[in-house]
Amino acid sequence: MTNVARTGPLVVDRRVTSLRTSLLGALVLASCSGDPIVPPPRDGGVVETPRDGGTRDAGEEDAGTIRDAGLRDGGALDELVVLVTLDGAPIEGATIKQGGADREWQTDADGRAIVDLDENAYGSLGIVASHPDARMRAADPVETTGFVQIDLERFDRSDNEAYPYGDPGEPTRRDSTAQCAHCHTTINEDWFASPHRTAAKNGRVHDAYAGAAEAFDSEASCLANGGRWREGLEPGTGQPAFRCYIGDGALEAVNPSCTEAPCEQTATNHADCADCHAPAIPGPLGGRDLLEATDFAYEYGVSCDTCHRVEQVDLAQPAGVAGRLRFLRPSEEGSIALGAGGFLPLTFGPSKDSPNPRMGGVPREHFREATLCAGCHEHETAPMRSGDTIDPARWPSGALPIQSTYSEWSDGPMSPSMPCQECHMPPAAERMNGADLQNLSDAVIGITGGWRRAPGEVREHAWYGPRQPSSRMLELAAAVFVAPRVNGGVLEADVTVKNVGAGHAIPTGEPMRTIVLAVEARCGDTPLPAIGGDAVPAFGGALATKDASGDWFDWPGAQIGDVVRVVRRVGGFHDYEGPLSFGDGTRTPAQRGLPIEDVAGSATITAVSGTSVTFDRTLPSGDVAYLVRGAAVPVEGAPAAMLAGAPGFAFARVLVDRDGRRSPHFVAVDVTSDNRLMPQASFTTTHRFTTSCADPVVHARLAYRSYPHSLARARGWSNPDQMMVEVRR
Amino acid sequence: MKRSVLAMLLLLAACKSPFERSTAKLAPTEATDLDPAADVVRVALSAARLVDGAPYIYAYNGVNPGPTIRANVGDTLIVELTNDLDDPTTIHWHGVAVPFAMDGVTWMRDPVMPGETFTYRFVLPVAGTFFYHPHFDTKSQVEGGLYGALVVRDPAEPTPDVDIVLVVDAVDELLAGGHARGHGKRTTRWRVNGVEDAELSVLGGSTVRARIVNASNAGFLALRWPNIRHIASDQGLLPALETPDRLLLGPGDRADVELLVGRDDFTIVTEPYSLNGGEKWGDAEPLVRVTVDTPAAAPAPLAWPFPGGVVTANPGHVDIVYAFAGSDRTRQWMINGERFPNVTIESIPLGEVAIVDVLNLSPTEHPFHIHGLRFEVLDVNGAAPARRTIEDTINLKIRDRVRLRVEADNPGDWMTHCHILPHADDGMMTVLRVE
Repeated sequence: MTNVARTGPLVVDRRVTSLRTSLLGALVLASCSGDPIVPPPRDGGVVETPRDGGTRDAGEEDAGTIRDAGLRDGGALDELVVLVTLDGAPIEGATIKQGGADREWQTDADGRAIVDLDENAYGSLGIVASHPDARMRAADPVETTGFVQIDLERFDRSDNEAYPYGDPGEPTRRDSTAQCAHCHTTINEDWFASPHRTAAKNGRVHDAYAGAAEAFDSEASCLANGGRWREGLEPGTGQPAFRCYIGDGALEAVNPSCTEAPCEQTATNHADCADCHAPAIPGPLGGRDLLEATDFAYEYGVSCDTCHRVEQVDLAQPAGVAGRLRFLRPSEEGSIALGAGGFLPLTFGPSKDSPNPRMGGVPREHFREATLCAGCHEHETAPMRSGDTIDPARWPSGALPIQSTYSEWSDGPMSPSMPCQECHMPPAAERMNGADLQNLSDAVIGITGGWRRAPGEVREHAWYGPRQPSSRMLELAAAVFVAPRVNGGVLEADVTVKNVGAGHAIPTGEPMRTIVLAVEARCGDTPLPAIGGDAVPAFGGALATKDASGDWFDWPGAQIGDVVRVVRRVGGFHDYEGPLSFGDGTRTPAQRGLPIEDVAGSATITAVSGTSVTFDRTLPSGDVAYLVRGAAVPVEGAPAAMLAGAPGFAFARVLVDRDGRRSPHFVAVDVTSDNRLMPQASFTTTHRFTTSCADPVVHARLAYRSYPHSLARARGWSNPDQMMVEVRR
Repeated sequence: MKRSVLAMLLLLAACKSPFERSTAKLAPTEATDLDPAADVVRVALSAARLVDGAPYIYAYNGVNPGPTIRANVGDTLIVELTNDLDDPTTIHWHGVAVPFAMDGVTWMRDPVMPGETFTYRFVLPVAGTFFYHPHFDTKSQVEGGLYGALVVRDPAEPTPDVDIVLVVDAVDELLAGGHARGHGKRTTRWRVNGVEDAELSVLGGSTVRARIVNASNAGFLALRWPNIRHIASDQGLLPALETPDRLLLGPGDRADVELLVGRDDFTIVTEPYSLNGGEKWGDAEPLVRVTVDTPAAAPAPLAWPFPGGVVTANPGHVDIVYAFAGSDRTRQWMINGERFPNVTIESIPLGEVAIVDVLNLSPTEHPFHIHGLRFEVLDVNGAAPARRTIEDTINLKIRDRVRLRVEADNPGDWMTHCHILPHADDGMMTVLRVE
């Protein structure tokens, strides 16, 4: 890297450095792929003058020192006067950056800024001007004598329905410069492995949308599981196909004219699902049918060309691309060679020094802020099913909170200090630039390939969460504290679960998520019988539930080895502090809806005759009985354990339908309880066991599961428990 | 390079004799023991502004780093600090289990006001290499040059031919526009014992115990040289010799290494390292050129009385959790969602053992440091460390969860914080009470 040479005293040269029609697009294409040089774009850009490479001399003046205007020793230029115009007039408030340097300047009322050059910025020297209304442009001041003018032009703010969303490419398919992956190799690999990529093709989403079960993919398996084998439309192609229809579906709920799934061919209301799950469906924004998602829109879900289309976030609007996320698709005529479907590229992002006309970059600060994530990860809705109503006394706004991750964060201590990106998009220090400069030659480090950024500026595009176990996000989210005491042959243990790491409630997001706590005690290898204390609520999972009015010796479908757990309702409700209206003091414990249930005991079924069962011991008396099967504790990767009635607890936002069943949001009429743990909040439960030794060990397991047990079972969804924390004391 | 420039450089080099950059020149000033008693070391320190000390603006006794204080384990150390600054100050004895009143913090204690003198007096309980610095307006005063080394010797340990302190500091970390620089992202200007381009001249055949202290605000040292022999950490000798490829020292961290100097010169370099998650691009920077005066066969290693020992078993539970969070974009840093001094005080009964989990949720690394106590590392991200590790400072990488065993054997309100000083000053600090 050489210094900018000067031959005379610092005299502002009023001659405007020519920002000629750019050959840069052609240079970019050539540098990336070896493709033949193509005609230059109609507009924008600069001529990048080939520069001498080299390195800066060691021991030069400290980069952090603000120098006097003028020359450095040796005649190098260390300061520039930059004039920025917008549509031909000097513009105040434009941002000036030296590519690759940390500092930035704002133009004054005359459109001017004095820029102090950072000699330690690596790569070719380039001065970049940006403005919220214009694509960035750069000037290479090598030929100047201390003055440079950069002319910006307003972009057309009308969204273009004809714009074809770009192909992000894949790790194994990135040969074309039209693919984002061609240059943004590693970011593409992050994204490809992320849940954003599969947002539109997620089988659970389509099952919920159509009221179907992808897992039952033959007529026989469908019928065996209680479904109906009907011809509907196939996700991803929209073509007629036989599918298994079972349970509630969003389309059936929101289209009264369709009384029984399949509703795909007759639905006129599409529940806005595609607004977040398939934002790349070409054409009009909003209200689109999820089954219109084909090709890229289906395969790639939330892809590069959707997030980086977001020009503005308006939190007052409904979630998705038709509301909160203001999409702006390029509309000005451009060159096919620049890869934006013949439109002049326009891309929104966090950087203020990405002037490559191939991108058409415009800086937007919301890419560093939680508001962008709030575009979809914050969602409330009025009852969606025809005829459903909600209690206005409980929900004065007329809507139920469905996803409130942004609000949870806003109400917590990590707001505004630590927006979503800081955890979910951690630094990728080794990359230095979103375009993988480490894979490019020094010759393109600059206006063409981007500059080397300070470590931490480039972020992984992985959106780490529970579905990426290697990220350890689950184990970082929570802590479990156990305080045991033994008295008179009784072990009593207080178990506290605390949200220590998440900036939002745990669990968060989709309200089907649950965290379960299972508590055991042992003397050596001998498990101790529970004799009381807090029990896992019903949403911890069971095959069937009966209250005291039911016949606890009659369990249709029960098998030998199944267990019936009994709990006592000891009166009252848990006085927990949950998120939002479940923690702001506006609701009584009863209104927060979590009755206190004590473990009474359990018995194992030893014989089945029809629906009648026989137990291995006397069934304890109580108020609620749960029929459960399988493992009594959560095990990493194993199917979600049925824990209702066991010593422990659970945390979830519980949505219910008009029949009082835990339900997906599209048929929900109430949130009966929401005891999820806000950031740094904790909840303590107490558990009692008889002990035969003086030093029993309490074993607490905290696990996360994606779906309610009953829903996953009905749809054939894989629903493993994922261990968060395990404590023995 | 042009011939004339080359000639000039050669001429400059010729003007400096090897002795001008010798051990004697590189080694920090040694503190003078003012007490004749064998088991008492009494030192007078004056913290004052330097008239012409760029890049430093403050110094103890006019030297950077401050005088190296040497004593034996079990000695009583008395330090009379005179504050000749215009601002309050203190001295914190980093890594030493001192009585709370001697810890040099301003939590529940007053600083030493300008013109005042305060006498620190305590017994040195553990041998090792320690670090002293202010704990008032810490980032500014440390950046200004107020720091030094405290060497506590164990007579049972062998005496090398050279026992030298290498206090390494990144200068100009807090300059204008420099929050990024304050985070060590572009730390490129290192000084060793106040010297750039340091050179250590050693007789061939010598054994050297080099005690390395990272005194920077935020710069990480990723040290490399041939045949690293790591013998001691924060709290004295390691259980056994270690020979890593590289030594990583975060701010406030220390390491003692054995150099067996033979015939060949070598250079201790620091490789690029970013606190945002690993190495950054760039070249390794030379810190100390070790030159051999009169080459000879390399000596045999000294017989260090490594204590051995195995890692204490993870008990499987936790008593206290500290979650580090924040952002270098917002410049707000917190522990458990709280910013000092508005913090919840966790307590451990005196004489008890507490299991402490430290989590790093933020997008930068953090060297976790605890005052007045020390800890054993039981577990890093679910795996026991390879060796028993007793520390007072441990670096947490992004998304690390580290489990520590803390013996509450020293009563007091112990500051517990990130030792990236801008982080601590911006709130990433709390109080662990032992009572």
